[in-house]
Amino acid sequence: MLKSDLSATLGALVKAGVEFVLVGGLAAVLDGAPVQTYDLDIVHSRSTDNIARLLAVLESLDAVFRIQPERRLRPTASHLGGPGHLNLITRFGPLDILGTIGRDLGYDDLLPHSVEMDIGGGQIRVLDLETLIAIKEELNSEKDRAVLPILRRTLAEKKNHSSH
Amino acid sequence: MNPADEPAPAPEYSEDGVDLSLIRWMLTLTPAERLEFLQRRINDILTIRELNAEK
Repeated sequence: MLKSDLSATLGALVKAGVEFVLVGGLAAVLDGAPVQTYDLDIVHSRSTDNIARLLAVLESLDAVFRIQPERRLRPTASHLGGPGHLNLITRFGPLDILGTIGRDLGYDDLLPHSVEMDIGGGQIRVLDLETLIAIKEELNSEKDRAVLPILRRTLAEKKNHSSH
Repeated sequence: MNPADEPAPAPEYSEDGVDLSLIRWMLTLTPAERLEFLQRRINDILTIRELNAEK
């Protein structure tokens, strides 16, 4: 059977001390938005030490590029050092490793716009809803426009909730 | 009025069609509970897909 285990993937990253900010659909869900998502998107710190930690985790998760999984192409330190997007498949499901998102926003840019969350197996940094919305508005793709009404309403409800 | 005779409450949608009751329900959960709920949904979908792929 196909396996998906979001907690196990996040737990492996946390346990190895990988510095990352969770972004994308799963960040939206953890921020409280009722959206469906299947992959896990992270923006990682591209420091040499962090790339080494991340690479070790990817190896333990048996991560390969998912565009041609039969070729079993594995990500390298050089791939992880760049600003691009690596779309991988692991034994726990899809995992997207993003050097930057939006207008070249990397880990250091996103960290001040993230919140710490307890996911049961540890603490992770999750991109806040305001920034997620701003990036999707900037990208303005059809996919992003489709989800924006739900994200905006969730943000409004959260603000309304916290003001009472 | 007997609760059984009460009309069902009207669903609450924003003007752009977003289900506000779903958002409010999500906001009652902790992040860990949201993650667990999503995981269960994904696993259910994968199970159904696999069952149907075998037919």
